[in-house]
Amino acid sequence: MDLKVEDIVKYLAENIPRGGVGPFEKAVAFIIRDFKIWWTYKLWITLDILSSLTFVATYYFVSMIITPQALIEAGYAADFLTFSVIGISVQHYVFTSVSSLSDAIREEQWNGTMETILSSTTSFRVFLLGESAFRFIIGSYFLLASLGMGVLLGIRLVLNPTSILAVFVLTILLVASHMVIGVLGAAMILKLKQGDPIVWAFSWLTQLFSGVLYPLGLLPDWLKWVGNAFPLTYSLDGLRRCLMNGEGLDSPMIIGNTLKLILFIVVVLPFSLWFFKKSYDSTRREGALGQY
Amino acid sequence: MNQPEILQLFRVEEKRSKSSLRQLFAVVWAQLKMMLAYKSWLVMDLLSTLASVVMYYFVGLQVDPHQLSRSGWGTSYLAFSLVGVATSNYLWACLTRLSHSIQHEIRGGTLETIAVTPINMLMFFIGLTARGYLVSLIYLVGVFTVGVYGLGAKLSFTPQSLFVFIILFVLMLVSNQALGLVAAGIIMVYKRGDPLVFILAAVNEFLAGVLYPLELLKRFPALQVLSMLFPYTYALDGMRRVLILGASVFDVNVLTDILVLGVFSMLLVPLGLKMLGWGYDRIRREGTTSSY
Repeated sequence: MDLKVEDIVKYLAENIPRGGVGPFEKAVAFIIRDFKIWWTYKLWITLDILSSLTFVATYYFVSMIITPQALIEAGYAADFLTFSVIGISVQHYVFTSVSSLSDAIREEQWNGTMETILSSTTSFRVFLLGESAFRFIIGSYFLLASLGMGVLLGIRLVLNPTSILAVFVLTILLVASHMVIGVLGAAMILKLKQGDPIVWAFSWLTQLFSGVLYPLGLLPDWLKWVGNAFPLTYSLDGLRRCLMNGEGLDSPMIIGNTLKLILFIVVVLPFSLWFFKKSYDSTRREGALGQY
Repeated sequence: MNQPEILQLFRVEEKRSKSSLRQLFAVVWAQLKMMLAYKSWLVMDLLSTLASVVMYYFVGLQVDPHQLSRSGWGTSYLAFSLVGVATSNYLWACLTRLSHSIQHEIRGGTLETIAVTPINMLMFFIGLTARGYLVSLIYLVGVFTVGVYGLGAKLSFTPQSLFVFIILFVLMLVSNQALGLVAAGIIMVYKRGDPLVFILAAVNEFLAGVLYPLELLKRFPALQVLSMLFPYTYALDGMRRVLILGASVFDVNVLTDILVLGVFSMLLVPLGLKMLGWGYDRIRREGTTSSY
C-alpha cells in the first residue's frame, strides 16, 4: 500500500476515542499482564519457593538449641519454631512485596517501557496500584508455602473461627500499611534509580526491631521504641497472638495492634502519596522517567 | 571536524596494554568506580551488615548454652553464628556474582563490545567477580569488627589462627569460585540459569550449618551425606575450629578440612575453566552474545 505523507499525518492525527476503561479494570489488566509474565518463569518460581523454604528448614534446626523462656515471658506459646516461622514468612512476604514494587519500576525503566506506559492515558497511580496488588498476591503464594513447610516440620497453629477472623483483619491491615511503604520506596527509586534506601532501611530495621526472630522484650528499653515505628511490629505481634495463642478480635492486645495499624495507614498514606507526586513530577520535569 | 580528520582519528593506532594483569586491574577499577557511584547503596549495605550481627546477638540470647556446647562449639551462639554469617556472603559472591555480572553485560549489550576488543576474556571474567569480592570483604570485616569489638564475641585472632583461617578461606574461595565458573558457563548458553545458582547457594548455606551446629543433622542421614558434597561445609567447619576452639593447623580435623578443600579445588578449577570456555565459545559461535 502506498501512503503519501499527508495520509500518514492524517492517520497519526486521527483521534481514536478512548475511555470506558475504568481505573479498576486497568489495575486488573496490570495484574493479568504481570501474572502472564511471571507464569512464563515456572522454573524460577519453583526454585524461588524452594530457596525460601531453606530459611524455614534452617530455623527448624535452630529451634532445637533454643530455650522458650523469653517467648513465655512475652506472652506467646512456648514454641520457637512456630514463632520464627511466622516471623520469617511474614517479614519475607512484606519485604519481597514492598521491594518488588521498586523492582518493577526499575524493570520498566531498564526495558524502556516506563515512558511508553505513562504516555498512554493510564495514570501512574493506577500503574502503581496494579503493580503493587500483583506483588502482594504473588507474595501470598510464598507466604503460604513457607507456612505449609512449617506445618510439615511441626509448627502448631491455633485455628478457630475467632483467630481466623482476626488473622484476616490483621492481614488486610498488614498489606495496606506496607503498600504505603512500597509507594514511598517507588518514589525514591524514581529519583535515585538504584539502591532504594526506603526498602533497604525497611528490611534491616524490621529484622532488628520488629521481633522477627525474638520477642521485643529482649531489646534494651532505649531500643524498643524503634520497633514501634513499623507496622510490621504490630502485625507480627497480632498474628502470632492469633495463630499461636488462639486470641481473637476481642483480645485487648489484638485491639491495640489493630488500632495502631489503622493509625499508621491514616497518618502515613497522605504523606506517601504527596511524596510520590513530588518525586514523579520532578522526574518528569527532568525528563528522566526512562533513565536507569 | 571534516571527514578526512575523522577518518584519520579512526586510523590512529592507539597503544594497547597486552599485560593481562593491567587488563585485570582496569576491569576491577571499572567495577570499583561503578560500585562507588552508588554511595547510598553502600551506606545502606554497611548498616544492614551491622543490623544482621546485632540480630544474631539477640537470637543468641534465646539459645541454651548447654545445647550448643553439647555439639562441641563452646557456649557462645554469637561467636558460632558470626563465623557462618561473615563467610557465607563470600559463598554467595563466589557462586552467583560472575553469572549475574555476565547476564548484566549481555542485557546491557556490552559483552559483545568487550569481546571484540583485544582483552584477555579470562581476565575480564575474573575482574567481573571483583565487585562481589570487595562488597563481601567489607561485610566480612564489618561483621567481625562489630561482633568481636562491639558485642564481645570471643574469637581467637592470634597470628597462628589467622594464618590457618586464611588458608581455609582461600581454599573456600577457590573451590566455590570454580563452581561459580561452571554456573557462569551454563548460564551464558541457556540464559535463564540464575534461579539454579540461587538455589544452589541457598541449599549450600543451609546444609553447611551457617546458623546451627551440623551435629543436629545426624537425625537426618540423607541431609548429612548431602552436606558433605559441598566444599563450604568443610571450610566453615575448619574456620570455626580455628576461630572458636583455637585449633591449630596440626589439628586432625582442620588438616582433614584443608585436605578435602584442596581435593575439591584440584577437581573443580579445571572443570570450571573448561565450562566457562565452553559457554563463551558457544555463544560466540551461535552469535548469541547479545541475546537474553
